[in-house]
Amino acid sequence: MSLPRSNYDPRRVCLNPFPNFDLGKHRRTVGVYLAGALFALANWTFLDAAILSAHANAPWGDPPISDPPVHVSFVDWIPGICSLLGYIVINLIDKDRIRGDEGFGDSRAVWRARLFLFIGFAFMAGGLAGSVTVLVLKYILNGYPEQFTYYGYANVSQSVALMLSAIVLWIAQSTSSEYEYNLTL
Amino acid sequence: MAAGLRTVILLSFVLAVGFLLIILSCALWQNWLPLLVALTFVLAPLPNALFAHCGSDELSSNYEGSAPLDLGRFITSMFVVTGFALPIVLAHSNVIDPKACVMSIAGGGLVYATILAYSAAFSQEESDYD
Repeated sequence: MSLPRSNYDPRRVCLNPFPNFDLGKHRRTVGVYLAGALFALANWTFLDAAILSAHANAPWGDPPISDPPVHVSFVDWIPGICSLLGYIVINLIDKDRIRGDEGFGDSRAVWRARLFLFIGFAFMAGGLAGSVTVLVLKYILNGYPEQFTYYGYANVSQSVALMLSAIVLWIAQSTSSEYEYNLTL
Repeated sequence: MAAGLRTVILLSFVLAVGFLLIILSCALWQNWLPLLVALTFVLAPLPNALFAHCGSDELSSNYEGSAPLDLGRFITSMFVVTGFALPIVLAHSNVIDPKACVMSIAGGGLVYATILAYSAAFSQEESDYD
């Protein structure tokens, strides 16, 4: 089946196509760098909240509060740890095993690889859901001022950035040199 | 060779200015935590340099990229972001002065840019066949 070239494609709806970034052979490198940066950014976002809570200074020039009503405790660390575990599990899987090509290993290996992938993504989604839960239950429902709900927002953004990092790393590593996107799971 | 010499002198000046900024940012406020930024930025190119030799063995012609190379890039990028994020986090929680934060970030950026420019300027001449 031969498609017309995208320049003359009559089925096209939008006049301006999505700009195709032709990073060429550097696509993998850029993706890996981006994933690492996102990973570090995620963890530093949460560590910022933890350090801020440990020092418990008023960050916007107010006089220091003698006894802040809430601190970052171990409950806040759990979603991040779950996301981190999921991140490790996802990246330990052999990418070729998931695709399940015929004649490449047995079918049970494919099944096991998919199970591990599911566990990894479940950990990451659980971390995200857990961070939202902590944000709502611990910070928003108790009606703390914005200075303290920042801890919860930092937690959520940590999980989101970890997930983005995993996705970027996956895409970067699954693009092969033959310019084909196969993100087929 | 004169151009190379001039480059070396210029880069060493920039490196000295970078370290001067970092040390000033520590010494002016009697708080030596921003010195970690210098350590981070000096360590940042190390994983790339270490893992660079793991990838291109046995004349692999295809640009497929190997896992050790990717790991090195990942860790390098983590170090760079850490170097920028650490002073911001410290300044955010009032551990260091905001001016010290700006100075240490600028100094660390200069140090890292020097390392990058040095490796870019002098690795081209060795491997011209690439």
